[in-house]
Amino acid sequence: MNSSRRLGMVLMLPAVVLVILFFLLPVALTAVFSFTNMSTATGISGGAWQLAPNTIQRLRDQYGMGELAEKLGQPSFVVDERGLQALEASGIEASIVGELRAAHLGETFPSRREIERMIRGLKDRPSTPEVKRISAEFSRSLANARFGSEEALFAAVEAIDADLTQEERAALAAASYTGWSWTTENFRRMVSTPDTGRTLANTLAYVALTLVLFNTGFAMVLALATHYVPERPAGAFRILWLLPRITPPVIYVLMWKWLAWDTGFLSAVLDDFGVAPRNWMLGSSANAWVIVVLINGLVGASMGMLIFSSAIKAIPQSLFHASAVDGAYRWQQIRHIILPQLRWPILFVTCYQTLSLLTSFEFILLSTNGGPGGSTEVWALAIYHTALNNYAGNLQYGYGAAMALVLVVIGIVLSLVYLRLFNYGALVQRPLIEH
Amino acid sequence: MTGNLRSWPVVLALSLLSAPLVVMYAYLVIDTVTNSPAGSFVPNELTLEHWSFLWDTPRGRPNIWRVTLNSLIFASSSCLIVLVVSSTAGYVLSRLNVPGRSFFLAGVMVLHAFPAITLIVAIFLVLQMVGLYNSLIGVILVKAAIDMPLGIWIMKGFYDTVPWEIEMAGIQDGASRFRVWRSLVLPQVGPGMLALGLFSFLLAWSEFVLPQVLAPGNRVQVLSVYLASLIADDNNFDMALFKSVGLFYIAPVLILFAIFQRYLMNIYGGGTKG
Repeated sequence: MNSSRRLGMVLMLPAVVLVILFFLLPVALTAVFSFTNMSTATGISGGAWQLAPNTIQRLRDQYGMGELAEKLGQPSFVVDERGLQALEASGIEASIVGELRAAHLGETFPSRREIERMIRGLKDRPSTPEVKRISAEFSRSLANARFGSEEALFAAVEAIDADLTQEERAALAAASYTGWSWTTENFRRMVSTPDTGRTLANTLAYVALTLVLFNTGFAMVLALATHYVPERPAGAFRILWLLPRITPPVIYVLMWKWLAWDTGFLSAVLDDFGVAPRNWMLGSSANAWVIVVLINGLVGASMGMLIFSSAIKAIPQSLFHASAVDGAYRWQQIRHIILPQLRWPILFVTCYQTLSLLTSFEFILLSTNGGPGGSTEVWALAIYHTALNNYAGNLQYGYGAAMALVLVVIGIVLSLVYLRLFNYGALVQRPLIEH
Repeated sequence: MTGNLRSWPVVLALSLLSAPLVVMYAYLVIDTVTNSPAGSFVPNELTLEHWSFLWDTPRGRPNIWRVTLNSLIFASSSCLIVLVVSSTAGYVLSRLNVPGRSFFLAGVMVLHAFPAITLIVAIFLVLQMVGLYNSLIGVILVKAAIDMPLGIWIMKGFYDTVPWEIEMAGIQDGASRFRVWRSLVLPQVGPGMLALGLFSFLLAWSEFVLPQVLAPGNRVQVLSVYLASLIADDNNFDMALFKSVGLFYIAPVLILFAIFQRYLMNIYGGGTKG
């Protein structure tokens, strides 16, 4: 154990801990959660067992246990020791309780009418209010009762139906459980629902349009244009076009709203030319697409602009001078000198931005929020709307995790591919001090 | 520059292209201190009424100064964690002979390219389970962890430029590797630490999605979430107020950027998310 090795491990420790806690663990948990039906309704910790009306319905329809369902669904009355003791404590005459215990203990009645008929038939002839009180004490209806464990549920049900089969127990537990459970339903749903295809198409269109038009295309225009102007204005333009990137997204999108809103700048200016004011952001899905691509594109363009600019700066000036002497036009310089030199930067920006566009959604969330009518809902935003925030308040964590898992897998695969592509191994040099 | 080619048509074209951007930013400032007649964008009076949010707290909203304090705590804590973790791990990856060093380096690259925002569903559920949901601590840790791979990569780059001779001299004089790092190497990468610190502070200051999802409560609200919820409130649409809060929120960013532009440009050019 040499000193640099020990020091190295200590100094790496914080980074390793953060990576495990906030990268490796969430990746694994995304996969785990995607096989559950967690939602706002089931909660994220364990649940309880409840015989709600829909439980009864599921028992009948899904498990074909109509008989059991009927028994559980009806109010039912059992003459048991618990009820008798409660009656004694509430001051009902001892002779009534005694007769009930002697002659009727253990009897079950499917309805209030039947148990009350039995009570009226007792020797002491209880008064009507007494009959009501007695029957109420024997009510063992389980409708909407909640139980903390399966055993408590079975014990309560067996008071009504003493001979529960193993099969019935299993069905009962499954149908009445309110917590989350394991399932592969999320993936089946993802493949079958038409929303998936639509969201996927939106995502591809959004990534392709933004990437080609702005993140590389417009970025290249800016880099080339600032290359051909004197240094001082070039610097000013680069700073100006960097502004969208350094502006916090909430403010940046706010400025777009000011521009495109129905009472905004664009409407006011066009009003002078006889165009009726309208919402240029959400007025139609074509409007929304233009704005979404512009908003993301102008932010993305700045990165390409800076990378391409510095790559152009690295080209030997003599090439430009020589071609200028030969009478080359600008587009000839661009075509034959600059672009061939920019192959790697272009590839880098394309790769990098593909992944980041695929997974980023904050600008769309803040501007159109997927609208109008879901026409700009991309995959990453759909995850947000499914699992993290929506108007209905019904958050489906499990399904959202399954959708996120798709992006996580794409992210891992593409990052590994990029690692090979850009040959980062060459960047590792051996330390010169060995100990 | 390039001989017989004139540059003014290019400047003109660029100016036209940039005009909308200039108008948007100009009005971000103008609208906060003026009023304009309805339907017009030419101001006819100066006013400070749009800034009243600084002293009057609207009902149901947290106090602006509380929110600003939260933002400051959030951004500076996240920045501090990124700095500590990156300056130690970056040194290891640049200089120290540890087992699996190239594996770690490849790992940092993969993590840097990997879109961590896809993990937000799992992180959201975990924070709820461990009780860090709606707390600044939770969102600070998450933000710092997400920015860390870039930080490590940048710091490794800065360490790579420090001459080996400095360290060798230190070792010759009998200093331990830790002492060499702490007293000799760390001062050499001061400008790098400054740049990374500013950069990660600005990243956290601007962050919206993480605090919106992980800490939306009034008590822990940061400026981005505060402003977004103002804008999302359909009952009180007041563009001038939004812009005033926006200008209040963006001012530190612009000031820091103006002062430290030279340091920051390196990092912005080096491939950040967006």
